[in-house]
Amino acid sequence: MASKKKVLSLSQLPTSPFTIDSMAWNQTGDWRYLTPLVADKMAPCSQGCPMGISIPVCLNAVKQGDLLKSLSILYNANPLPAFTGRLCYHPCQTVCVRRKLDRAVSIRGMERFLSEQNCEAVVQKQAQNGKRVLVIGSGPLGLSCAYFLGRWGCQVTVQEPSAQNGGAFRNILTQKIDSQIIDTEVDKLTQLVDFDIELCVSIDIDTIEDRLATFDLIILDPTGLAGDLPCPGRSVVVNPFEKAPVCGDILVPLLPKKLMPLKGPMIAHYIAAGRLTAEIGMNRVDPSSCAHVMPTGRTVKAENIRPGMIIYSKPSGSAESDGNIEWDQARVFREAERCLSCGTCNMCRRCISFCPDASINPDPDGNFVEIDLIHCKGCGICAYECPRGVITMEENQQ
Amino acid sequence: MKKVLMGTEAAAVAAKLARIQVVSAYPITPQTVVVENLSDMIGKGELDARYMTVESEHSAMASCIGASAAGARAFTASSSQGLALMHEVLHYAAGGRFPIVMVNANRALAPPWNLYCDHTDSLAQRDTGWIQYYCADVQDVLDAVLIAFRVAEQVLLPVMINMDAFYLTHTSEVLDVPDQIAVDEFLPPFRPDHKLDVNHPRTFGNVCGADLYTSIKYQRQRDMLTVESLWKQSAEEFEIKFGRMHPAVDAYRHEDAEVLIVGIGSVAGAMHLAADRLREDGLAVGSLRLAMVRPFPLTGFLEATATVKHMVVIDRDVSFGAEGIIAQEIKAALAEHRRHIQTDGFIAGIGGKDLTSEKIIGFVLQAINKEGAAVRAGLSLWAEVLP
Repeated sequence: MASKKKVLSLSQLPTSPFTIDSMAWNQTGDWRYLTPLVADKMAPCSQGCPMGISIPVCLNAVKQGDLLKSLSILYNANPLPAFTGRLCYHPCQTVCVRRKLDRAVSIRGMERFLSEQNCEAVVQKQAQNGKRVLVIGSGPLGLSCAYFLGRWGCQVTVQEPSAQNGGAFRNILTQKIDSQIIDTEVDKLTQLVDFDIELCVSIDIDTIEDRLATFDLIILDPTGLAGDLPCPGRSVVVNPFEKAPVCGDILVPLLPKKLMPLKGPMIAHYIAAGRLTAEIGMNRVDPSSCAHVMPTGRTVKAENIRPGMIIYSKPSGSAESDGNIEWDQARVFREAERCLSCGTCNMCRRCISFCPDASINPDPDGNFVEIDLIHCKGCGICAYECPRGVITMEENQQ
Repeated sequence: MKKVLMGTEAAAVAAKLARIQVVSAYPITPQTVVVENLSDMIGKGELDARYMTVESEHSAMASCIGASAAGARAFTASSSQGLALMHEVLHYAAGGRFPIVMVNANRALAPPWNLYCDHTDSLAQRDTGWIQYYCADVQDVLDAVLIAFRVAEQVLLPVMINMDAFYLTHTSEVLDVPDQIAVDEFLPPFRPDHKLDVNHPRTFGNVCGADLYTSIKYQRQRDMLTVESLWKQSAEEFEIKFGRMHPAVDAYRHEDAEVLIVGIGSVAGAMHLAADRLREDGLAVGSLRLAMVRPFPLTGFLEATATVKHMVVIDRDVSFGAEGIIAQEIKAALAEHRRHIQTDGFIAGIGGKDLTSEKIIGFVLQAINKEGAAVRAGLSLWAEVLP
């Protein structure tokens, strides 16, 4: 660290009162009692999403023109975007902050567009853990459950009594979606995490207990199997939305009344229930490893998001007609630009501009901002100015 | 080229000839014409400058400070209440050593509300560290703005060019407007050694402890004291180039004068006439216009007052509880002569009252005869007061 320059004679003084050398010796970080914390918060849309998709992160990738990255972020939480992109009642859009300005960002339309891209998402997969799981029924819950368990290292088999994947949900899907798109979507999924779907398998519930000789865990899919689910021996009824440990090797998820009978617009809830069932199953078969294989997700709510500040930061784009229009790439890029990136740093650099101590810098690749805590006085201007609510002032953070 | 212009128009033409790069101002009578004309020139593309509209005089000066710090030649104009609102940043401009030139139209301060001539507005800014020059006529306005930029940029201090409300701002005169080429030769572009530069970041107006504060202020005082001679050099060069004199101390028939009439601003003409007429009556009277008030042009003043026994000072201003501000300045300077000189101060011509040669003759006679129409209040005699 540079040391303070000593001025010993008038001739060394500058004419104007300005700094004559680096001020880096002045370690004003000592003055700080509140520390800025730069951390993405969950945006209202993500909070509204039953699957908890990181929507602003996903759309920021679209803004950067990186559709593969965007698709991968999407697949991280949603294994069936072609279905949700057509059926979901999009609660994300209902709470979109942009509505206060003009109109909600068309998140569902973009999700559908991304699902149709001819590229394979990159999803994180854990090493094989040797556990074998049988999912009976290939509805959205079953497929989602198989997808997440597969990613977390289990060897998964899906058995479907009927001749087409989708099971009991197939009829609902075909009302809105071409059969070919349904099959393509399910094929993509099985390739991504490498599991098999066996169709036309006759299931004998009375003897299903015997299959535990081959499988560590059996899960019955209420969205794939028609009618009330049976409760064979060694089975346990689970509520996917309650995170309670279970005793039993055959899981029978019981969906809340509002999700039954099966409804197309509620598809994201079935997918979410599939993931939560997978978490319960994982806890059962491999409790030791589940802590690190299952990301807990970000639970911080975006309390610091202030629509007034976002509007002040001059958001780009304007609402386009939401009629039945084709989602071409240009339209998707324009629509993604409208996303305000609530709670999610999009490197607008406003904090860098406003920091009076030049103590906020972008990392060398320009992907995030770093606070120079040696000089940050903790004035809080960055937190006040951040239109996205990403920066908060925290006590006891050094 | 000969042109008929008002003082406000002359100030704008001078700013254009000086090739100012940034003008930021807020309108106020009677200054407004200055910046209206400049905005016209910029709008028509005759002047390549940035016109910054702001919400107050305080912001106008702050903008000029920023522009000057960035290396631009900055100009503004104000008057009276507007100048008073600028007060805080006037200190900043001088302390930061920003060579801004401002034209101030000397107008009375309210209340009561009054648009006419009074010098208290700028004299109240005497201690902000600005160089202050008071114009005698419209040609003086035009020429002084050009000399002001040259001196300001040499010494890195701001200059306030003052012109009397309406007597100069709204009075047309036949002027000699110099050629752009000749002005360019007289006034080179502003190229400061240090300016805001993202490639060489430094803090301007930074915090400074007691260890250096006194030395920085001393340095500024030392530099300010060179301004009388710097102005003299530039004014002499200006005279060689353009044939017109603009001394810091404008003395008339003073060489053998025993009585000297002293004032600032456009009263100079009436003072000349009064001196001439009193000489016809056999009195050894001269006049002295203090063109520069800050820094006080002590050398020139002491030379011009070598023979004087009696000073009659006219103040278009007042420091309440004391006396006229110019009278105070004169008394302080006369103390350097180390001999007794009678000094009589008159408060007159404020709020738009005309100062005619007849009135000034009356002041001189009252000062000599110890009787007349002006009434005493403390150290000053007030003319034109109701009985």
